[in-house]
Amino acid sequence: MTRRPKVLVVDDEADYLQIAARIAAGAGCSVLTAATATEGVALAERELPDMILLDVGLPDISGFEAARRIRKVPALAAVPIIFFTVRSELDMVAEGLKLGAAGYVLKPFDPDELKRRIKSAVSRP
Amino acid sequence: MSPAKKPSAACVTSDAGIRSFVESALAGFRLRFYPTASAFLKTPPRAGLAVIDNFLPDMSGRDLAVVLRAEQRTSGLLLVLTGTAAYSPAAAALCFENGADEYFHFPPDPRLFRARILNLLARGAGRSLPEEKPAERVFGTLKISPEARTVRVGTRHLKLTALEFDLLVYFLANEGRVVSRGVLLERVWKPGEAGPRSVDKRIEALRAKLGRSFSSKIKTVFGLGYIFRL
Repeated sequence: MTRRPKVLVVDDEADYLQIAARIAAGAGCSVLTAATATEGVALAERELPDMILLDVGLPDISGFEAARRIRKVPALAAVPIIFFTVRSELDMVAEGLKLGAAGYVLKPFDPDELKRRIKSAVSRP
Repeated sequence: MSPAKKPSAACVTSDAGIRSFVESALAGFRLRFYPTASAFLKTPPRAGLAVIDNFLPDMSGRDLAVVLRAEQRTSGLLLVLTGTAAYSPAAAALCFENGADEYFHFPPDPRLFRARILNLLARGAGRSLPEEKPAERVFGTLKISPEARTVRVGTRHLKLTALEFDLLVYFLANEGRVVSRGVLLERVWKPGEAGPRSVDKRIEALRAKLGRSFSSKIKTVFGLGYIFRL
């Protein structure tokens, strides 16, 4: 039996965390969740997920900074990261994409769009 | 056509088929291609026309349109979104609602594509800011007037409370996206006004007022919230 891809979802808003986790599970992934960036980075280092869904506006450190810290872990240097946010400022989106994000999704989610992006990111060679 | 007068267009796509179609249909244009949303957002043009593939590797064209429209320096771009033939009319309508000026299923007829792009550029040259007065929205027999804050189904005027009206407008603005009770409380309710169960009650009331034809458009997503699909 093939291993299910492991997805880490990091969002401080419980509702979005639950929605994203449900969508990732629906995409055939096993799901880990964290409500803060610090917890998310620690969980990523420990569990080495196959991809990460990361909210930009986290309360402790920004999602972008969390992504930089995650990328410093050699085993996670190329892990696909999809950012999500309610904010649609061009500079912010450009910065997220500059960090090598596998995707950028605006909240509230279009479930089909998010599922498609998750599937595409975890199936990358 | 002198080189100085050549019309120009940006095209954001990673799809070789769309790229070659645009190169051929817009022969004579000065074209600039960007393979991703990321590449486009690095140095986005401030004016002119951009053809955007809805299935970009890093972002949906629809979300990219939202970003470009929200930013003052790119809000004047003429945006042409493309989707596949499998895209539903409702999904195509969402592209317009998110700021697209034009939309095509791919591949369109090349001559029609070129004619509509040239038409758009000609109209865009004298482009004025959108009317501030929000237009009436019509979905079959459902008519919503944001300015007068009235809703009709056929000839029947619905007596919605202010909150129910705001709820309906929020659903319309986020059609096809899952919205949780928490998000609705944050965006539609006033702070501290009510708890999550109150959301359920209001939605039930809104469904009842919308009647049989439209009540089913607000679907409950078990354990998550609601999704509105027309």
